[in-house]
Amino acid sequence: MLSYVKKQYTTQEIEGFITLCFLCGDKKDITMRFLPHTDTDRTAMLETMGLSSIDGLFSDIPDEFHLQRGQLDIAEALSEAGIVRKFTKASEKNRNATNTRYFLGGGTYHHFVPAVVDYVISRGEFLTAYTPYQPEIAQGTLQALFEFQTMIARLTGMDVSNASMYEAATATAEAALMARRVSRKNRVVMAGSVNPRYRSVTANYLSRLDGEYEEVDMGCFGTDLKKVIAAIDGQTACVIVQYPDFYGSVYDLAPLREACDANKCLMIVAFSDVSAFALIESPGAMGADIAVGSGQSLGIPMAYGGPHLGLFTCKQKYLRQMPGRVCGLTSDADGKRGFVLTLSTREQHIRREKATSNICTNQGLMCTAAATYLTLMGDAGLTTVARHSAAALQSLVSQLPDHVAALEGAHYNETVLSFADHQARQRFLTAAQADDIFAGIPLEQIAPEQISPEQMDPSAENRHLLVATTEMVEEADINDYLRLLEVAK
Amino acid sequence: MSASDMNATTFKYSATNGIQHEEPLLFEHAHDAPESIHLPGIKGDIPDALAAFVRQKPANIPGLSEPETVRHFVRLSQWNHGIETGFYPLGSCTMKYNPRVNEQVARLPGLAHIHPDQPEETVQGALELLYEVQQWLGEVSGLPHVTLQPAAGAHGELAGLMMIRACLDARGDTERRTVLVPDSAHGTNPASAALCGMHTVELKSGPDGRIDLDELKAHLNDGTAALMMTNPNTAGAFETDIKEICQLVHDAGGLVYGDGANLNALVGLARPGDMGIDCLHINVHKTFATPHGGGGPGAGPVAVNDILAPYLPVPCIVKNDDLYALQHNIKTSIGSVLSSIGQSGVYMRANAYISAFGREHLHKIAEDAVLNANYILHRLKNVYHVPFEGVCKHECLLTDEIQNRHGVKTLDIAKRLIDLGFHPMTVYFPLIVHGAMLIEPTETESRETLDNFCDAMLEIAAKCEAGDTDALHEAPVKPFRRRLDETQAARKPVLVWPQ
Repeated sequence: MLSYVKKQYTTQEIEGFITLCFLCGDKKDITMRFLPHTDTDRTAMLETMGLSSIDGLFSDIPDEFHLQRGQLDIAEALSEAGIVRKFTKASEKNRNATNTRYFLGGGTYHHFVPAVVDYVISRGEFLTAYTPYQPEIAQGTLQALFEFQTMIARLTGMDVSNASMYEAATATAEAALMARRVSRKNRVVMAGSVNPRYRSVTANYLSRLDGEYEEVDMGCFGTDLKKVIAAIDGQTACVIVQYPDFYGSVYDLAPLREACDANKCLMIVAFSDVSAFALIESPGAMGADIAVGSGQSLGIPMAYGGPHLGLFTCKQKYLRQMPGRVCGLTSDADGKRGFVLTLSTREQHIRREKATSNICTNQGLMCTAAATYLTLMGDAGLTTVARHSAAALQSLVSQLPDHVAALEGAHYNETVLSFADHQARQRFLTAAQADDIFAGIPLEQIAPEQISPEQMDPSAENRHLLVATTEMVEEADINDYLRLLEVAK
Repeated sequence: MSASDMNATTFKYSATNGIQHEEPLLFEHAHDAPESIHLPGIKGDIPDALAAFVRQKPANIPGLSEPETVRHFVRLSQWNHGIETGFYPLGSCTMKYNPRVNEQVARLPGLAHIHPDQPEETVQGALELLYEVQQWLGEVSGLPHVTLQPAAGAHGELAGLMMIRACLDARGDTERRTVLVPDSAHGTNPASAALCGMHTVELKSGPDGRIDLDELKAHLNDGTAALMMTNPNTAGAFETDIKEICQLVHDAGGLVYGDGANLNALVGLARPGDMGIDCLHINVHKTFATPHGGGGPGAGPVAVNDILAPYLPVPCIVKNDDLYALQHNIKTSIGSVLSSIGQSGVYMRANAYISAFGREHLHKIAEDAVLNANYILHRLKNVYHVPFEGVCKHECLLTDEIQNRHGVKTLDIAKRLIDLGFHPMTVYFPLIVHGAMLIEPTETESRETLDNFCDAMLEIAAKCEAGDTDALHEAPVKPFRRRLDETQAARKPVLVWPQ
């Protein structure tokens, strides 16, 4: 067999073939399995062009910039087996949701991801397609986007949704920019109870543009709407609140809606766990003009910060100022229903510096994941997810020992636990981690500027824990959590 | 259609005669589905305080059983052309094969199911892989300081311009707010500049499609913040005057921003940082083969030189001895542009792609990509109009000038390619030529595929010459939808299905 092969191929080609069959170890002579050409092909193609060497195709690059090939400070090539080994080794160093119980939130949540979701987005036709610029051969992506937009609009109670933003923080920033265009005013008011990361990215986006940006300090772990309303004036383009807020608090937005109407400013509602709206009133029902946030809860793994899914929804009348891609319904030359990317006159490739945003690539595949997840769940499944998430938190806070306090008022699946002091909190976190529980996020880790109302010695003040629950929390996990609170008292 | 034509389209090209089911919107599936998922968790009560906020009207998310859900989305998937389906020579988009092993390793539980706020000592493996790819991107670009935070190319542009602006401000150059952008640039460049509070001045390209030095000199002044350039440019040509261009901008007090969308032409062979570029974003969903997912997710890391390093976004991934950590407090930083350290899952795949080639083979990416583009250019250049002479880099630019004489436009050629089984090239971009067709084959295509594509293009040209153009104007006829009415979609937008 080998002698037959030798007659047909050069030695190098045989090596390539062996690598292709994944039999090769991590050796220096690995040839590249993703490159289909043999050297014979390359030579023949160059000859067609009258060239004897590949260098002839790079003669337009000045000599001084040519690197010596193979000299970069990059690891040596790995075979497929070598790559799997390397990544498995790295993966095994990380505590993860298959071996640890997660009570972590703050914008990223460990919800259940059905196997079907990952199967659908692993299909090459979804996974390896580009932006649907040729709609006749991208109807799959486009119809999925249309279904996604519809379901997101329904879940948030809004009129329309775009085809996604990067994540929640940039979506919040883009919402502020959109409100400035709609209102033709440029003052932005931000409640201090919005996720500190959404605030900081929004402030960053606005800081190079004309206009005023004001953050309203809440003075508590919750949302004081009176303070927010007091900050609104006639120059205000929009006011941004989070609902449920960063601390998990659920509250009535009706007074804010009135204040916004009185000052002709837009009400922007941010959210970090969209699963809430299967259970509690939606931003739309609360009167939001624009609602933005994270869709990571809809079938997307935590993945150490991304890729997640930014959601962007608004009222129909503001549609033409919305950033990002949108998919719309139309018909083809035979009158059959079909879908296209539309309203592109808002976008950078046509409007250039006057575009509504610079966003181009979005989180397309994550929209397909979310659409699949929502289809599997339906109203009933989504409501169960939300009820279980809320019930787990209620179970925890209703059984807390005296030395730990939770926030008062209505909460969905997130709250702040306060310990006597920093040391008490650290004792508990250490004990919990030793028992395979990530018990919460030290509040100052996300909100370094957030010194609590008492404002004393910061080391004494770093005693708060942001705690979140989902349907992945079981009764036994709550029991362990409570037991460890006692043990580490 | 003649028998010989049938033969050609059915067998010579892969064409599009697959099974295609009509599939209604899931809102049109007519029955109530049972709850299809058995969910874990606690079935307890919700507190009274929360009960006061309970949603009055259900969201009306239809819900299908699991078998129906799978069938629905599998049918939809079959209406898509992906890189796994066929050739996808979309210029400036670098649609190359996405290795399956990259998907496998990115899904390992210790990489996929970890929270961005869990303690750093419990995610050392993830940080190690991210730090590694961060350093590699610095090495490949010749710009050693890298942020992984920007979520896509355009986001990288914004972050890069923010750093440039911060650097100029620190020098006291607070009046420098003009960004020079060649007329061949991606549309995101001027949009990003506007978002950064700067204004753009467009540079007219020279007769060879490259930056015209006199035009550049005429626009450089005390207000110049930066030149944003793409090299190779969007006509697929290397900016041979790159050294002088960067020198001129630097002498005028500005900085040079590189749009790294076209890095695939240079990777492992030459480095933008060595040429004088100060700041470069890299589209890892292009050069480093992370799947584009029908529009995203991407990742747009930015690599900068020492001058801009103090302004990198926070947090930065750093290595202290053998421990990896996130550094948050950097006084000169432009701040954060994302709520996390970046699209980690995308970088896992990029790391795996670079690992597969390694130091020894990385340059072969660029070599084969450029070889393939020039091969196509060579085979088509006597039949299609080539606006700019010379070798191209990773993509080649043609126009419809010759076919236009027979009433056939770029769009007709593109749509006919669909019937012949190919995804069309990028059309009508760059804007500097009329009827542009920008073809980027990438390194992962075989000679057989390139030849088939060229044969298809030659066949189209031959039909034009013969005046046999009906099939071109009618195309596409094979997909289950024909040309879609974009005007109708925009005039009366329907973005959601009515309740």
